[in-house]
Amino acid sequence: MKNFTYFRPTSLEAAVALLDATYGATELLAGGTDLLDLQKEYVAQPDKVVSLSGLGADFRKITVGTGTPPTVEIGAGATLADIADHKDLRELFPGLTTAAAEIGGPQIRNMGTLGGNLCQRNRCWYFRDEGVSCLLKGGRKCYATDGDNRYHAVFTSGHKCVIVNPSTLAPVLIALKAEAEVFGPKGKRTLPLDKFFRAPESAEHREHVLAANEIVTKVTLKAGPRNGSYEVRHKQSYDWPLVQAAVAFDLEGGTARNVRVVLGHVAPTPHIAEAAAKALEGKRVTEETAVAAGKAATEGARPLSGNAYKVKLIEVAVKRAALLAAGAKPYWT
Amino acid sequence: MAEIKWPQQRRVIGTKVPRVDGPDKATGLARYGFDINRRGMLHAMILRSSVPHGRLKTVDVSAAEKHPGFRGIYYFKRQGQEVFYVGDEILAIAADTEEHCQDCLRLVRIEYEPLPFVVTEEAALKDPGKGTVPNPGQGNVRPSGQRTVGNVEDAFGKADAVVEGTYSVPVQSHCCLEPHGMVAEWQGNNLTVWCSTQATTGIAGMLEGQFRNRVPDVKCRCITHYMGGGYGSKFIPGPTGIACSELAFMTKAPVKLFLDRYEEQISAGNRPSATATVKIAGTKDGKITAFQADIYGTPGGGAGAGAVDAYHQLVPYVYTSIPNIRTTNRTIRLNTGDRQAFRAPGHPQACFLTESAVDDLANKLGLDPLEVRRANLPTDPPNAFKKPIYEKQLEIVAEMCDWKKRWHPPGQGPSKGPLKHGIGLGLHTWGGGGRPNNDVRVTIKSNGSVLVQCSTQDLGTGERTVLAIVVAEVLGLNVKDVTSEIGESQFGRSTGSGGSTTCPGTAPAALIAAHRARDDLFDKLAPRLGVKKDDLKIDPAKPGKIVAGDKEWTWKEACARLGMDTVVGVGDHPGDQSLSSQGVGGVQVCECWVDTETGVVYLKNFWAVQDCGLVINKLACESQVAGGIIMGIHYAMFEERLMDDNTGRPLNADMEFYKLAGMKDIPEIHVHMMDMPERGVIGIGEPPTISTAAAIGNAICNALGVRVPRTPFSPMNVLAALAQKGGA
Repeated sequence: MKNFTYFRPTSLEAAVALLDATYGATELLAGGTDLLDLQKEYVAQPDKVVSLSGLGADFRKITVGTGTPPTVEIGAGATLADIADHKDLRELFPGLTTAAAEIGGPQIRNMGTLGGNLCQRNRCWYFRDEGVSCLLKGGRKCYATDGDNRYHAVFTSGHKCVIVNPSTLAPVLIALKAEAEVFGPKGKRTLPLDKFFRAPESAEHREHVLAANEIVTKVTLKAGPRNGSYEVRHKQSYDWPLVQAAVAFDLEGGTARNVRVVLGHVAPTPHIAEAAAKALEGKRVTEETAVAAGKAATEGARPLSGNAYKVKLIEVAVKRAALLAAGAKPYWT
Repeated sequence: MAEIKWPQQRRVIGTKVPRVDGPDKATGLARYGFDINRRGMLHAMILRSSVPHGRLKTVDVSAAEKHPGFRGIYYFKRQGQEVFYVGDEILAIAADTEEHCQDCLRLVRIEYEPLPFVVTEEAALKDPGKGTVPNPGQGNVRPSGQRTVGNVEDAFGKADAVVEGTYSVPVQSHCCLEPHGMVAEWQGNNLTVWCSTQATTGIAGMLEGQFRNRVPDVKCRCITHYMGGGYGSKFIPGPTGIACSELAFMTKAPVKLFLDRYEEQISAGNRPSATATVKIAGTKDGKITAFQADIYGTPGGGAGAGAVDAYHQLVPYVYTSIPNIRTTNRTIRLNTGDRQAFRAPGHPQACFLTESAVDDLANKLGLDPLEVRRANLPTDPPNAFKKPIYEKQLEIVAEMCDWKKRWHPPGQGPSKGPLKHGIGLGLHTWGGGGRPNNDVRVTIKSNGSVLVQCSTQDLGTGERTVLAIVVAEVLGLNVKDVTSEIGESQFGRSTGSGGSTTCPGTAPAALIAAHRARDDLFDKLAPRLGVKKDDLKIDPAKPGKIVAGDKEWTWKEACARLGMDTVVGVGDHPGDQSLSSQGVGGVQVCECWVDTETGVVYLKNFWAVQDCGLVINKLACESQVAGGIIMGIHYAMFEERLMDDNTGRPLNADMEFYKLAGMKDIPEIHVHMMDMPERGVIGIGEPPTISTAAAIGNAICNALGVRVPRTPFSPMNVLAALAQKGGA
C-alpha cells in the first residue's frame, strides 16, 4: 500500500474541502471494504484518504417518516447490516433488506455502508489486477471483451468497458424511485438514483457521475410500492450475484401499475428493463405474466463470448423477483 | 521382550476424545509460525515475475538498496535468465519493516524480453509443438504413457452397451489456511526456524544441506508447534524457506518471510487438472468389460509432473479388474505455477474420470449404479482384499441413506417446482501405511507427570491427541494426565506427514515407547514397593492405579517412590505390519437438489463409510472424514484456477473469484467409521476427500438425467449441460 495522509473531518464542509475535484489523488473512506483492497492491490494509490467516520450520527441514521405512506431517509453512513436488520425497512422494502442481507458476509455487512455500496468500484478481474492496463486505468483496451468475461455485462450498449456495476442495493433503490442527496463544493443537490450511475470508459470516470469532491449523504425513498429482489449466485454464502433482478410496482385493484424492473450485475450500470416493466404493466402478477416479464427483460441482451448463460438467468431472476414482490409463495424452494 | 500388540480391550483408544490442543487453537493461545516475533527481526518478501514468459534484460536494484529500510537481497534468478510464469521468483529482499520491504520491492526495476507463452490447456492443444516452458524442444504437449490390458476393440464389439463421454476437472490451487513461510534465526552455527511444514526433520535436514558448504558444522532445529494445513505442499523449504534462511544468514538477524494470499494462489502449488475421453462398455448384468481413456492434464511448467504422468496407471480407478483396458496419457506444460502433492495426489481426478463413466454406463444399461459397483469390485491379487471391505461398506451406506428408497432412474426423481432430486455415489481407495524412523519417547517423573515426545508435526489431524491416547491407554491413565510435545526436530527422527502415514507411523511407536516406559517403571518401583516386578500390573478396570495382587497404589503414590529417578521408554514403528497396515476403501453418497431454471446445485446430505483399521480417536476420525468431504465439495462445486490466454496472467488468484464453499454451501454430513482393529492403524488423512466430487457429479446426473461433464458445478456449467440436453 502506498503511504497516504489520513484525515478524519467532523463536517461535510471540511471533508469536501479536503478533496480534489478530479479523481486520482484523493479518496473517500467509509467502511473500507472496497478502498482498502484497492489500495493494497495498488489499483488505487491516493495521497490523501478522507475518512467519513468523524461525521455526526445523522450521517448513519435511518428515519421513517410519519406520513402515509411514509418517506424514508437512509443516511449514507448506515451499514448494510443496519439496513438488513431494520424492522420497518423489512416491512416496507423487503426487496431492499433482502438485497442488503445477501451482500458479502457478516464482516462486510457490518462495515460496508449504503454510500459505499453505491459508489464502490467494479469487480472486473482485469481492472483489479495492477498488472493489466485496462481502459479504466488509462490503457487503450478492454481486456474482458476478448478475454474471460463469464462475469461481465450482457447489456453493453456499445460501451467499450464491459464491467458490471457491483451494487446490489442500486437496482432495488432505482426500482423504488429513490433519490440521493449529494453534498459538494456548491452545497446540496438531489439526484434520482436512475441518473446516478454511468458506464465508465476511462481513468477519469467512476461507476457513478459524482465528482471526486462530492459526497452522497443520504438516500430518500417513498414507501408504498410492492417490491422484491432476487439474485442467482453460485455460492450460497459470500458471493457476488451472477444476475440480480429488482421489481417494484403499485398494486391497484389486483393489477400492477407503475412497474419498474431493474437488473443488477448484467451491465456497466444498473439496467432498467423497460420492456419487462411494460409486460407487467396493468396486469395481475401471476407465474404466466412473470414469465413474460422475464423474457421481455432479456430484450437487447448481447452476451459476450463467455456469458450467454446470464441471459437465461435474467429471465428467471425477473420472474422470481416479480412473484416475490407480489407476495407469492416461492415456487422454487 | 514379548511381542507388543494393540490391547484387545481398549479403554481410551477408539473413544471420542476432543483434541488436547483444541482450546489453545480456539482461543489463540496456540502460536503458529507467523505469530513468532524475534528481537531485531527483519521482514522479507519475494519479487515475482509479472510476465508469463520472458528473459530478464535488466534487474536494477540500486534504488531499493538506497531505501533506509533495506537490509539484504537474495537472488533466485539473475539478468539473462528466463522466468516461466507470472509469479516465478526473481529475488527476495529483507527490510526493517513489512511496509519498507514492500516499498523496496517496488523500487526494483525489471525489464523483460517478452517470450511466447501458453497458459491454458485448450491453447496448448491447438499448437502442441510450441515450446514455451523448460525443455522447450519437447513442446508443451508431451506423451506421458499408455497401457493396454486385453483387447478393448473386441470387447466394445461384444458389449450390450457402450458409452463415450469426456469428463474434466480443472486445476485446484492449494489454499492452506496458513500460508507458506518461516521465521529463521542464526546463533553461531545453529539455525532455528519456525516453519509451517509437514516435515520438521526434513526441513532441518534440507536446510543443513543448504548451508553445509559454508557452515560445516551447521545444526538446524525446526519448530512447528502448530500449522494451518499443508495438504502436501509443505514438505520442503522451497523458495520461501531458502530465501528466508539465506537472508537471515546474510543479515545476521532473524527474518520472517510468509507469503500472502495472492502468492499462495499463484506459486504455492496446485492439484493438476485432468480431462479424459472415456469409452466404457458393459453387459446387461452390469459387468464392465472394457474401459478406454485418452487423458491429459497439466502440472504446470517446470517441476515434476507427479500424478499427471501416472494418470494412465490410475484409471480405471478402484475397478482394477476390468478385463480390457486401454489408456493413453499426455502431460501439458504451461506457463503457470507448478503442482505440489495435494491430498491424495491423482486420486480425486482418477476417481472423477472413472466414476462418472461407470455411472453413465449404469444409466445406459438401466441398472442401479450401486449394484454396478458391487458387480465390478476388484478381484486382482493386489486389490482383492478390498472387495469384502467395499461390499460391507456398500451395505452399510445403502442402509444409512436408504438407497433403495432414495435412488431413482436419472431424471425421474421427485421434483419441487424446478428443483430436481438426485443421489449418487463414488468409491475410493488409498494406502496409508505406517513407516519406521518415528522416534517416540515417554518420560515419567516422580510427581506422576507423563510426557510423550515426538518430532512429528500436526497438520491439523490431532496428532498430539493420538500420542496422548495411546500412552494413556497403556499406562492406565486419562488423556488429560499425559502431556504431548511434538513439532521440534530435535526430539528425534520422524517421517514427513505425507500419504496418510503419520498416525500409523507414530501410534505404534508410542505404543512401544509406553510399554517400555511401563516396564522401566515397574523395574524401578518393584523393589521400592516391596513386590516382584512380574506382579505389578496396570489393570484396565482400575484406571489411575498400579496393582500387585491385592495391593494397589494410585499412580501418583507409586510414582512418588521414584524419588530422584526418571522413567524413560523409547519406541519406533516396528517396520512390519504387526501394528499398522495399509490399504483402505471408502464409499460416499451425495444427495442434492438442482434448480433446473438457474443451474444452482443445493447439496442436501452426504453419507460416508470409511475404514482405517484400528480407530485411535473416533472423534478425530469422523472429523477427518467430514473435513475431507468439505474439501471435496470445494473441489466439485467451486474451485477452478483461471488463467487469461491473452495476458498470461492469473484471473482469480484471490478468495473472491477463486471460490470456496461457505457455511450455507455445506450439507449435513453423516459419517460411519468402520473399525477394523485386527488390521492395526491405517492413515485416514487422504481417502475421505477422494470420491466426494465423483459422488456429487453422479448425484447431479441422477437429478437432471444429463451429465454435467466438468467441474465446478456452477450455474454456468450446469446450464450448459442442460442446454445440450435441449432444456430442462
